[in-house]
Amino acid sequence: MRVQILQETHGADDALLLDERWQSPSTFLYLPEKTAVSAEWVDRAIALIPDDLQRDHFALLTSGSTGEPKLVIGSRTRAEGLARVLHAAQESGPVAETIVALPLSYSYAFVNQWLWSRTFNRRLVVTDGFRKPDRILGTLQAADEAMLCLVGSQLPLFDALAGDATFPGVVRLHFAGGRFPQEQLPRLRSRFPRARVFNNYGCAEALPRLTVRKAEEGASASDVGRPIEGVSLQSDATGALRFRSAYGAVALIEQGALKRIGPDDWVPTGDLGHEGEDGRWILDGRSGDVFKRHGEKVSAPAIVTAISSAWKGIAAAYREADRLGEPGLVLVVSPPPEAAELNGILHALRESLSRPQWPLRIEALEAMPLLANGKPDTATASSAPGRTVLWRQRI
Amino acid sequence: MSNAEKLRQLVLDVFLLDPAEFRFDLTRDAIDTWDSLGVVSLSVGIHETFGYSMTPDEAAGLGGIGDLVALLDRNGISIDAQS
Repeated sequence: MRVQILQETHGADDALLLDERWQSPSTFLYLPEKTAVSAEWVDRAIALIPDDLQRDHFALLTSGSTGEPKLVIGSRTRAEGLARVLHAAQESGPVAETIVALPLSYSYAFVNQWLWSRTFNRRLVVTDGFRKPDRILGTLQAADEAMLCLVGSQLPLFDALAGDATFPGVVRLHFAGGRFPQEQLPRLRSRFPRARVFNNYGCAEALPRLTVRKAEEGASASDVGRPIEGVSLQSDATGALRFRSAYGAVALIEQGALKRIGPDDWVPTGDLGHEGEDGRWILDGRSGDVFKRHGEKVSAPAIVTAISSAWKGIAAAYREADRLGEPGLVLVVSPPPEAAELNGILHALRESLSRPQWPLRIEALEAMPLLANGKPDTATASSAPGRTVLWRQRI
Repeated sequence: MSNAEKLRQLVLDVFLLDPAEFRFDLTRDAIDTWDSLGVVSLSVGIHETFGYSMTPDEAAGLGGIGDLVALLDRNGISIDAQS
């Protein structure tokens, strides 16, 4: 049985085509509308899918934060089980429709929106995200007991487009795929006055959900709450966070090889974390992003968190060595801050971080390049033309 | 930009001071970010801005902004701290 390929179009037919594939026994690969991987890469990856995974499964492409493409292969039965668990954990009973502002080929939207809507027979309202602002704002104005799923980095653009508009028809507001915008909750509650807000945590290998918490149940963006039913978390001796999940991927294809994931395997999430009070899990940064500079632990999430009280725009950081060869991070903000905002950012760095943890520079971009999933594209940002240096360390 | 303004901006940048905090009589004890790496950073900044290379002893011996102004003045770089 040959694996089928379906490519997202952001058109009205996407959901119908997905539905057809889901009902067909052949495993299918759902690709984003635009992808950096070649057709040859896809063909080679598909050729590695073994016979027993060529039925009743599905595959998604992810580049993750490492930039290395990989296919995650999931079981349809397990994914439907996750949709049911999420329905309870996210209190989705009263939700009549879900508004899609992210690519459906992104595992978050795929499971939390498309598969959930299919499993529970709810309306799926596909928009073109913020590429067509009038359409999504109009859809949100007309929302009827709706669920909206966003990533935090979409908020500055959303705020710029939506102005003072409020959307009382949205009753569930989910964030995943990046830092939870804890500091913006008051503004979110004004804009979505009837919405319950949730912080969702997971990773592509989990397809994708591991924890869910209501916004009001935590005070920190790093608090991702407790594992959902069927999921276990642990952190190893280095602090790397790992999971077992009844819904996670059954296999990965990366770097030209297939790797199966068994029920007893602990799978790294790519984050550092620890268990806090009452079984709640606290993120400590990305595994690969935490490094030492002049003896102090440095990470991009720590810098972004440190300035979050002073900066409401988009922020990201990329790695660079200083003139002494020590690794450091360059902070990129967008849109360019006013002078008072820059002073606020600098003040926040001074208040929250030690000097080695400060960024090497602060750069501004008129527009932050974004990945298809809405997260900042730090690789592109690091070489984007038109960057303005607002502040820099001397070493 | 005057030398005084250049020095003020450099000190703000190196120690992440709020502009309103800056005074030419600030001592190092009054600046919580005046640490060893900060002194190295200040030395690099002084060289970049005024072309003067402080010796390690000069840098370590600074008691505050006033000492820095005096040091630069002794080396032919006039800072009008009243400007």
